[in-house]
Amino acid sequence: MAKNTKLNDFLLDIHTEPFPARFVPPALDQLKLNAAKMLDGKIEHGEIAVSGTLRHLVLSVKQVAFKGGDKTERFKGPKVGAPAPALEGFARKYGIEASALIPVDGILYAEVHSKGEPASVLFAAMIPELMKSLQFPKFMTWEETGFKFGRPLRAITALLGDKIIPVTVAGVKSGRAVHGHPVLAKAPAVLKDPSKHAAALRQGLVIVDPAERRDYLLKSLAQATKSTGGVAEPDEALIDETVFMVEHPVPVLGKLRDAHMILPAELLKLVMKKQLKFFPVVTRDGLLHPYFVGVRDGLSSGNELVRAGYQRVLEARFNDAAFFVGRDSASTLESKLSQLERVTYQKALGSMSQKAARVSAIAAWISERLRQTAPVDEQAVSRAAKLVYADLVTDVVKEFPELQGHMGGVYARKDGESEKVALAVEQFYYPVAAKSPAPATAEGAVVSLAGKLDSLAGCFAAGMIPTGSADPYALRRQALGAIRIVLEKQLPLDLDEAIARAISLQPVANPEPAKLAAQLADFIWGRAQSLFEEMNYAVDEVRSIRSGALTNLPNAFLRLAALRAVRRDPAFDALAAAFKRASNILKQAKLSDGLIPDRALLRDQADFDLYDALVSAEGAANDRIVRGDFEGGLKTLVSVKPSLDQFFDKVMVMVEDEGLKKQRLALLSKLVRAFRLVADLAEIQAAA
Amino acid sequence: MTFQEIVLELQNFWSKQGCAIVQPYDLEKGAGTFNPATFFGALTSAPARFAYIEPCRRPADGRYGENPNRLGKYYQFQVIMKPVPNGITDTYQKSLKAIGLDPKKHDLRWIEDDWESPTLGASGVGWEVWLDGMEITQFTYFQQMGSMPLSPVSVELTYGLERIAMYLQNKNSVYDLDYGGGLTYGDLHKPQERELSRYSFETADVALLSRHFNEWEAEGKRLSEFGDPIPAYDCVVRASHLFNTLEARGAISVTERAHYIGRIRNLARKVMELYIDKHTPKETAASK
Repeated sequence: MAKNTKLNDFLLDIHTEPFPARFVPPALDQLKLNAAKMLDGKIEHGEIAVSGTLRHLVLSVKQVAFKGGDKTERFKGPKVGAPAPALEGFARKYGIEASALIPVDGILYAEVHSKGEPASVLFAAMIPELMKSLQFPKFMTWEETGFKFGRPLRAITALLGDKIIPVTVAGVKSGRAVHGHPVLAKAPAVLKDPSKHAAALRQGLVIVDPAERRDYLLKSLAQATKSTGGVAEPDEALIDETVFMVEHPVPVLGKLRDAHMILPAELLKLVMKKQLKFFPVVTRDGLLHPYFVGVRDGLSSGNELVRAGYQRVLEARFNDAAFFVGRDSASTLESKLSQLERVTYQKALGSMSQKAARVSAIAAWISERLRQTAPVDEQAVSRAAKLVYADLVTDVVKEFPELQGHMGGVYARKDGESEKVALAVEQFYYPVAAKSPAPATAEGAVVSLAGKLDSLAGCFAAGMIPTGSADPYALRRQALGAIRIVLEKQLPLDLDEAIARAISLQPVANPEPAKLAAQLADFIWGRAQSLFEEMNYAVDEVRSIRSGALTNLPNAFLRLAALRAVRRDPAFDALAAAFKRASNILKQAKLSDGLIPDRALLRDQADFDLYDALVSAEGAANDRIVRGDFEGGLKTLVSVKPSLDQFFDKVMVMVEDEGLKKQRLALLSKLVRAFRLVADLAEIQAAA
Repeated sequence: MTFQEIVLELQNFWSKQGCAIVQPYDLEKGAGTFNPATFFGALTSAPARFAYIEPCRRPADGRYGENPNRLGKYYQFQVIMKPVPNGITDTYQKSLKAIGLDPKKHDLRWIEDDWESPTLGASGVGWEVWLDGMEITQFTYFQQMGSMPLSPVSVELTYGLERIAMYLQNKNSVYDLDYGGGLTYGDLHKPQERELSRYSFETADVALLSRHFNEWEAEGKRLSEFGDPIPAYDCVVRASHLFNTLEARGAISVTERAHYIGRIRNLARKVMELYIDKHTPKETAASK
């Protein structure tokens, strides 16, 4: 569009009463996307951009063409030879004569040419539709027309070049006034053209661009905390929220009283962040410093008054917290256990007290299982398992559910429990997120694992099994937690057995516990699978170690790593193909897996060669596998490849002689079994 | 500015905005919303503009007069306006200035907080207004009552008078507030807090309260048969307060709780339907 005349820019500023921070970013995304959809194909335009605050949703469209494109459309009408009134009626609908209808294959069409509408007309029609198209987490109405939006509309600024686009939405007429900060801006600015919009808002103490506001916030946080030697805790969620909670961030530094610093740091931080949206100040090592930063919306003048207010509110909240801690500390965790009888876990699964008993039983069982291979302090496990849920009835956890476990640990130490016990209680819910740490100690790991197995078994037994994306009890997270604990702590624990054990303890009778256990095992394996895939293992590799994986998960992981290493060998794909052939033959012969060949009953040289190669490779491989050297074991097994190739070349498996056939099948069966100690190569897909 | 001066200033301010200054309702209640000026005022299409101080009882919040920030009985200043006047948030900011809180000198924040009252089947969209981090007002656009959408919508402002006064007078305990007339808030309220806390937590007769709850519920149902929603509504208010006291007394289990709330809500809905029916012009209702 190389013309002399300069193209106009379009600007829309939807000014509202304050949106909740979480409403704004998705609304801005939609504003951009929906505007592009509505404009595309209708009118030529340049870049579309959005910006905004809790009170402004701003859309700008650069270089808008003067009018929309001309269009010719055809509409299907009656058949040729239809009665005249029908033809005339159809033609009239499109404002043309019946004689102008165009016949195509026996059907008449009305052809309508439309001139592109002026940009101003297109935008006037688009603005109300665009506003209606925005989806909010929650809608409201506030005026007579019943217009639904996220918050009440206060003003609409809509300009194309220097002209107002006239629209009325929810009783609000568009204009050129730009409203700055509701308290601090003097009067609305009068906008001459879209290019001055951000500057007009800045004049009104509003930084309208979220990225710029974020930068400004981070810089001023650093500035504000400089004198303390610490930094504002870089809590991304709080930073994101703050960017959409204030239009002009001004940090105000305040100090915590020494008296409050004796409260648990996590509790202090949570009070600051959750109740007051303050940033805790921490040292470079993440330790709490006796400072906080509140982010004020507006000016830095008169900060003394604001600081005094912030400190007073914070102190009142800390006093509440101290009151709760004091009440909780008046009795020991152990003495609170009886209250768990009155706390329902799940209707079908009884009280938290019953759950605690099950967790204790599972934890004891796991400790016993590990006694030979990876012994833990069984007394500490038993003590911690008993106490893990006691903090649920404390005032602090009732007020801040996020602190479950953590407060248990704090109170356990206060009660004089051993550090091992306190830490296991504290980290009972670990890992709390996909990338956050698992329990630090073996004892903590056992108790935490027992808790997760009980939750999983209980929900499965009670029929609360996640489907699709619905997972109201966060069982996927629990399963991933269990997997990570077993893997990271290298627990040589048979998870299949543990699952069966946990299911047997549930108060819900199940007609087919074995089937339920298999279902739960598959569910847990599903999490392991995605964990491995996240670690860049191929889907077929992960599938090939499924058999027996849960019996010893740390070994399964070693098997996976071995497979990955050996797979780099160029001969590997051919071996996998031969292996697949062997397992297919076995499958077709429908013979049981456990056949053992007898060398004396074999016949040809190829039989003997494969037999001998297999026996020697298997022996050597087993030596390695027993030592945990799965890679060495697999490599040794791979050495049978020439004999296997020769076997398939030289002899037939499915021969007439039943005895010989059976021996050859047994030979293949032995081969398959040998490999399956590491991986089922039949699952491997040849590289494309 | 004394406590009573804050109330007088707010009354003056909202009187100038065209509100009728009505008086507290003469029954025990947990929130200013229960005053019929708001409850019935929000229901029909007739315009409503009221402002009033309302004593509120929250038995479970009683602390025997020992907690400087918590009270079992306190005051709200309530404004209800329908239809919603233009620029109501600006008008509210001006009201703060009228009581000596210049928004320019403070950090005024609007924090998402959607109000709901399960017993009234009512809900709204709005904010807590924070002044330097302290919640001083609940600001709500009513959306539903008795689980029915409201049209036109009312806006409700509820000022937390004690907190505002503590801020203005720079006091750390509510009991130290200068009430006016040479009295502190503590002179007037501390004995009451002590004795009412003892009542709510220790001495209230559970059997009697439970019986009264059942009786007022039954009476409300009976009265609504006669087509008079106003006395029937009084039964809702009474039952609601009885429930609050029983709960503070620890006499209601978690499962019973939902059941009690459901009973009050059902009665409230009946009263609302009756009121709307009675106050909606019949031809309008028929033409819909």
